[in-house]
Amino acid sequence: MKFNVNGKDHAVVVNSNERLLDTLRNRLDLKGAKDGCSSGDCGTCMVIMNGRLVNSCLILSAQARGSIIKTIEGLGTTDSPHPLQEAFMRFNASQCGYCIPAMILSAKNLLDKNPNPSRFDVRRAVSGVLCRCTGYYKIFDAIEYAAEQMRGGHA
Amino acid sequence: MLVDISGFKEWSYVMNEEGRIRIGALTTLTQLVENPLITSKYPVFQQVGDKFGAPNITNQATVGGNVCAASSAEDLLPLFLVLDAKVRLKSLRGERIARVEDFVLDKRIVDLEPHEILTEVFFDEFGDDESCAYDKVGWRKSLILALVNIAVFLSLDRATETVRNIRIALNRLKGKIPERAKLTELKLTGGILDEEAIEEGVQTLAKELVLRSDYRATAAYRVEAAKTLFRRVLSQCAENIRLGD
Repeated sequence: MKFNVNGKDHAVVVNSNERLLDTLRNRLDLKGAKDGCSSGDCGTCMVIMNGRLVNSCLILSAQARGSIIKTIEGLGTTDSPHPLQEAFMRFNASQCGYCIPAMILSAKNLLDKNPNPSRFDVRRAVSGVLCRCTGYYKIFDAIEYAAEQMRGGHA
Repeated sequence: MLVDISGFKEWSYVMNEEGRIRIGALTTLTQLVENPLITSKYPVFQQVGDKFGAPNITNQATVGGNVCAASSAEDLLPLFLVLDAKVRLKSLRGERIARVEDFVLDKRIVDLEPHEILTEVFFDEFGDDESCAYDKVGWRKSLILALVNIAVFLSLDRATETVRNIRIALNRLKGKIPERAKLTELKLTGGILDEEAIEEGVQTLAKELVLRSDYRATAAYRVEAAKTLFRRVLSQCAENIRLGD
């Protein structure tokens, strides 16, 4: 199966019943997407596939053939974090961190389409990810701050 | 054997063909609510989409899948029931058409033969003085099963304010699948749609509902929610028609 992950082409052999989540985690060693519930409820396995947010636990790897995938690993580096990642650090928006890759990808997907989101837009955009630590408010604040920074040309 | 049909782009479309709105089975909820025909003429689908689920769900959920899932918390089914929508079922032996109302037999059971596949859902385009609205209540706004949802299709004679035709469907009425509230429909058909008639309709609906309590909500709560949603959705339909020209 050939596909592109974070700008890099990959060719991997997968089982017919293998999930995209497992291919990413076990064959490509990309551990950012989490196996939270395995049933599409928690959203922590989220990746961006062909420009759309998807739960990678609900996609068979074979269905991702030829697709372009972005995971949290493709978003920034330790030395040069994405404005969203910087904002999450600044606002202490991450506690245990389990859901944060999915939160940031959801936020990125929102800001790509809508650089000036309202609080309602932000809440709606991350509604597919469950966070059991933060109570969400620091996450909303961080996303709004990142949006502001990105509009200001600091991105 | 599992056959993946998700890459079959030919079955992802929304079109108006000679007065018939056709929606391909593989159209995702996101594609549906972003479609120009839907946004301009059928905003009721956006009312469904707004409360259907989070983006990661609506990006993957398809219209055909939602119909075939036939659950009691179904979001699209009540709407398709009031639109009197039909499904196109294809197989190597040919194709057949079935009304959604006849196609969904019971919870998780649809009238689909092993050799058949659902390729399309379609309904008649709205005429003048016709409108449709939808609302839902759940534990939260997004990514949640409906405790109660309701769709209403209304055809109103604007000159006389008389109900020419009304169709009402809820996710649960008596059984475990979405059904039409035909007694309430009968009560309102042919009458003038004023405040009094709406209240009579609400009371009839409350009597028509045979709901059970479960761990998500009590029956009493569901009835109260259904009354409120019905009043709201019916008024909205009437308002849409009055404002239209």
